[in-house]
Amino acid sequence: MKTIADLNNSKVPIVIIDKKLDVLDNIVLFPKKVHLAEQKMAKIGLPKKNRIAK
Amino acid sequence: MLLEGSNVTGCFCSPVCKSKGKKPCCILKLIGNVEPEMKLPKYQLKAGQGLSSYEFISEGPKGLIVKRVQFTAINQEQVYNLAFGDKGLDNDEINDLAISNNGDSEKVLATVIAAVYAFCDKHPDIWIFATGSTNARTRLYRMGITKYLEEIRADFELYGEFNEEWEYFEAGKNYTSFLAKRKET
Repeated sequence: MKTIADLNNSKVPIVIIDKKLDVLDNIVLFPKKVHLAEQKMAKIGLPKKNRIAK
Repeated sequence: MLLEGSNVTGCFCSPVCKSKGKKPCCILKLIGNVEPEMKLPKYQLKAGQGLSSYEFISEGPKGLIVKRVQFTAINQEQVYNLAFGDKGLDNDEINDLAISNNGDSEKVLATVIAAVYAFCDKHPDIWIFATGSTNARTRLYRMGITKYLEEIRADFELYGEFNEEWEYFEAGKNYTSFLAKRKET
């Protein structure tokens, strides 16, 4: 179990779960951006697998 | 040189300094926050149970502005689009072109990055794609990323799109979009 100190030092933030926001998970809030991302990724693809990030 | 106000003590001018740490030759007082820079102030995040849509409230001279962040799966496996914008005052519509000028752009960006950490904590193997709604905004994100590049690289594989190819993100290049993945721990 994490201590309060662990939580405070973690880069993963504390997130309040609000069930009222569940509805947003089923809606695309930024359809134009998603379309653009799909176009770009279809064209470029993912980075080459043999690359190792610095 | 002696650092005061932090947990670092001793002379750091060696080997130039003849005191060899016994008697500090100079003193630098650190004023203000001495925490790592990535520990920027952030707004409290709220999310639905799926942890893919987040909301927080920006506070500044223009008042309270509700902001939403969403990670949306695209038609390529393991890739999610990251987008955020302002929620409308009277409706649920989101405006990702709004210029809030609420004087808290760094805090907003830090909060969005916090949402990235939260989302990647749940989905460690996914890629996150992001771009600005305008060239100016993409430039703003690029500057924000560059400012904390070392810290980001410690936790993420980070690429920038240049001439329709992904390359390792480097400061000073005009990338038009970004792709990141949490490094394996």
